[in-house]
Amino acid sequence: MKVRASIAAAVLAVTLLIPANAFAYVTWLGFTRQSNLASTLTMTWFVPNGSSGGGPGYYASQSWRAGSGVSRDACWIGHGWLPVGTYDLWGHWDNYNGVIAGRVFYLQNKPCWNGTWRTELFVHSEETAAQGQYCPTAGDDPYCWEGPSDYYSNGCIKVSRAGFPSDLRLVHDGWHARSGDHRHGYFTIDDWLTVRDG
Amino acid sequence: MNQILGSGWRKGLTLALLAAATSAIALTIWGVLGAHSAAPRTGPLSVRAGLEQTPGPMVRGDGLFTGKAGSKHQLGAAVSGAMIGPLSPVAVGSPDGRLVAYNTWQEQRPVDSERSFSKQSIGPGDVLGTPSLRVQDDTGKDSLIERGAYSAAWRQDGAIAFVKGTDPDFRAARSYDGQIVVRAGVRGRDVVWTKDAAHYVVYAWAGSRLLFYRVGLGEKLELLVADAPGSIRSLADGSAIALSPDGTRVAVLGQDATSARVLDVATGGELAWLDVTTATPSVAWLGYSGSWVGDHIVAPASPGLAVLSVGSRSLELEQVLSLDHAQFPVGVQEPRFVDTDGNEIAASADVPPTNGSPAVSFLLVCDRIARSCGHGEPAPAKQWQRLVAVTPATSEGGQ
Repeated sequence: MKVRASIAAAVLAVTLLIPANAFAYVTWLGFTRQSNLASTLTMTWFVPNGSSGGGPGYYASQSWRAGSGVSRDACWIGHGWLPVGTYDLWGHWDNYNGVIAGRVFYLQNKPCWNGTWRTELFVHSEETAAQGQYCPTAGDDPYCWEGPSDYYSNGCIKVSRAGFPSDLRLVHDGWHARSGDHRHGYFTIDDWLTVRDG
Repeated sequence: MNQILGSGWRKGLTLALLAAATSAIALTIWGVLGAHSAAPRTGPLSVRAGLEQTPGPMVRGDGLFTGKAGSKHQLGAAVSGAMIGPLSPVAVGSPDGRLVAYNTWQEQRPVDSERSFSKQSIGPGDVLGTPSLRVQDDTGKDSLIERGAYSAAWRQDGAIAFVKGTDPDFRAARSYDGQIVVRAGVRGRDVVWTKDAAHYVVYAWAGSRLLFYRVGLGEKLELLVADAPGSIRSLADGSAIALSPDGTRVAVLGQDATSARVLDVATGGELAWLDVTTATPSVAWLGYSGSWVGDHIVAPASPGLAVLSVGSRSLELEQVLSLDHAQFPVGVQEPRFVDTDGNEIAASADVPPTNGSPAVSFLLVCDRIARSCGHGEPAPAKQWQRLVAVTPATSEGGQ
């Protein structure tokens, strides 16, 4: 009996010591459009009853300030925030090297309400491909998070790269930890992001 | 009787002189006040229904509307700027006024904009639709310019520039790459002007030079200029607010939409610069695809419209006209001066869908001196109600 109790206690202890991110939860994102500079990006994951020690399970979430576009006109290519609706994820990179760089999440295309196609949309911030900061001028540098005006974008969702840990890191690490999905490159995740008005 | 008549005549003369003096004083006061009120002032625009006639030819759905009565001419396909948005005119007239080139979109499968592709069983590479360019002449003859093409600009000699897709079809999870081609007339030979295929959009001719965009990751816009086939250079990171009437200068907008510059098209040199957030009056941002007449530029702006004054080496924000955002929540696109004095402005104002009501589009025509606008009947936004862009018959024109 003592042996069984010891084994049970040991199993329980080991279970409790395993970090939560060892579980793979169904995880998705929501973007609530409030303003171009200050909207809300929310990551939500469902913890089923098996993970919470019984019960029906529960939803957990974490939110960050995020921006999108310069205008509220979702039909304005390179200028308006992204259209409402649900988006598939088309890829994720840690060291993307382009006009957008570093940790990026690539979204599907989406038509707005007059039929204009919005394309090349990402969730990202302002950092280098090596996930660093490059701030060579006193002005607005594309791989440098200078401040709140950097929440503006051509349409993409942007989160802050300031502080430690930055919101970008929390989004990135949170995604891998909660979803248990550590893939990089092109792949598809259905219904990854929903954009709605707040 | 004579005395009565004489007395009456004197009284009449006195009254006439008095009336003349009063009129002169009134005219003087009117003139002074009139001159004062003619100065453009910053402030709200009052917008009323009842626009009786459009200030030029207009397209909507499968119709081209011309003349004072707005007579409808049937187009070969419905107009659509699905691939260009406001980056380039959806319909543009030729320099001789005989032809109208217009963008269309053939949907190959219905797409619900609210739902994800995966929920609609749309996979990477699936065909979503096909853009095409068509042309209609003044006899009503309508024909295809090119399938798998979009964004047209007429050159003075009648040549037409456009983007020709590498693959005619727009596909899910694929960038719509193409080449800029210039065709010598509607039925002429194509010459490829770009070296590499990319996601391009044609903006306008600046004399013999062609201005066009490269759309990059995150919809980053880069304005390029082609001096000749294969001779391409970058003009600006950003977008074009307007091209000067003589085509020698272009006003460009920075990536963050808060700074405007005037560039020499031939050299790329900067002639003037303005931070619109610190100007007086100021705005939070400007938008691209405006219009330039004389020494004035009109552009979309955060409150509604902004009018800039351009000198040879200066750029100033002269007037800000604000729209009621409850009436027009997303402002206007593609404002254009429709008179030679730069006082009348036409623009498209879309109202996004609300509570199940589909999005609609209004044509506004505004007097910037009186700060009043009239709007026409609302049209479904998917019908792309827009004025036909005019290509001037000489190099004097601007866009």
